[in-house]
Amino acid sequence: MGRNNPIRVLMGKPGLDGHDVGAKVVSMALRDAGMEVIYSGLHSTVDEIVQMAVQEGVDVIGLSILSNAHLPIAKKIISKLKEKGLSDVPVVMGGVIPKGDISLLKEYGIAEVCPFSTPLNKVVEAVSKVAQSKG
Amino acid sequence: MDLAEQVLMGDEKSAARLISLIERGNKGAYRELIKLLPYTHKTHVIGVTGPAGAGKSTLIGKLALSLCEEGAGVGVVAIDPTSIRSHGALLADRVRMKEVEMAGKAFIRSMADRDHPGGVCPAAAGAVSVISALGKQHIFIESVGAGQSDKAIFYLADTVITVFTPEFGDEIQLLKAGLLEIGDIVIVNKGDKASAEDALLAISEHVVQKGETTWKTPVLLVQAHTGQGIEELLAVIKAREEFLQKDGQGAKSRRDKTIIFMMALLKEEVWSRLAGHFPQDAGISRIIEEVSSDKLDLYSAVDLIAQNIEMKVLSGHQ
Repeated sequence: MGRNNPIRVLMGKPGLDGHDVGAKVVSMALRDAGMEVIYSGLHSTVDEIVQMAVQEGVDVIGLSILSNAHLPIAKKIISKLKEKGLSDVPVVMGGVIPKGDISLLKEYGIAEVCPFSTPLNKVVEAVSKVAQSKG
Repeated sequence: MDLAEQVLMGDEKSAARLISLIERGNKGAYRELIKLLPYTHKTHVIGVTGPAGAGKSTLIGKLALSLCEEGAGVGVVAIDPTSIRSHGALLADRVRMKEVEMAGKAFIRSMADRDHPGGVCPAAAGAVSVISALGKQHIFIESVGAGQSDKAIFYLADTVITVFTPEFGDEIQLLKAGLLEIGDIVIVNKGDKASAEDALLAISEHVVQKGETTWKTPVLLVQAHTGQGIEELLAVIKAREEFLQKDGQGAKSRRDKTIIFMMALLKEEVWSRLAGHFPQDAGISRIIEEVSSDKLDLYSAVDLIAQNIEMKVLSGHQ
């Protein structure tokens, strides 16, 4: 990773809630940390996000979810990624996520969870860390 | 099976991987690219340029969707700027291509310009070849929101669409060289604005009809977000494709443009490799020092340093 090889992140906004301020703020923070961030736009389906991940050749997928659908979305994206041969692409999840669900999300295969009020530098750290572990 | 073979079989994941490797300057990836070159001649490469916010992405989204619905294979290379501060980038052209995304039939790749001048990135040419080898008949390249001198897209595309809006400025802007000159098709987007008809007239008067070919540059009014005028534009794009095929001009012009783009990349590569050695070269360091201390003007310095390098290159050949 570095100037000629920046981390590429897909920032996905799945589901029906229309609040993308969080996704945009995190996208800017990742950009300012030297990453190339592809933003999916609002109301993307899991299928669309996985399709984008395939075509964009990303190192990490970030998902911002405020609709309380994090558990079914997590399950679905992990199985879709597997189906498309992208099991090696780590998924980081953020948004309104109850602390009690974090261990379950990790069990499903989500690499990192950054719940509401995680400081931006910690989000950047989490994304860098999982990108490096992908290698 | 190697990456090139997988791309030729239509595997998008391999295509994406190969594009990433080309972006990183991986030499193994270049060897895969060579294998793909014979399969890249059937694609019509359409460059779309124009100022930021003119509606380039929305226009491409609509065109791509119509072509997909007709059963054609479509690819998109969408380029956005790299931050000069952090070297990161926010690539958000895809957001405007929602409908074609949902149809799930186009291959879309977002790229950062990686500080390359001219409105495109060096890897864009390679990306176009890879997507072409996937079997896409039409590939759109979207330039960075362009200023007056961002003309590099001309060297990557068979056809350039220049997108203006009714707020292009005044006639003086049109008299200057620049984006209007490289357009094979010129669009006035946001045709619902009050001044759109006037803009269409003014731009039509100043469109440069290129002397060297018989192609007449059409100027069209469209409203990309509603799809109005898209059908007419598609008809023009197809007429252009036929024109390029007719007398073999398309193939010749593509060969010429590839060499010019190659030379532009070479210039940067040679420069970045040579400039790294300057601090170790006593002669060049002295010249630079003389400019800093007002003993030498900058023009003489450029001439002297260029002579210095030229001599070394020539002596190496003898």
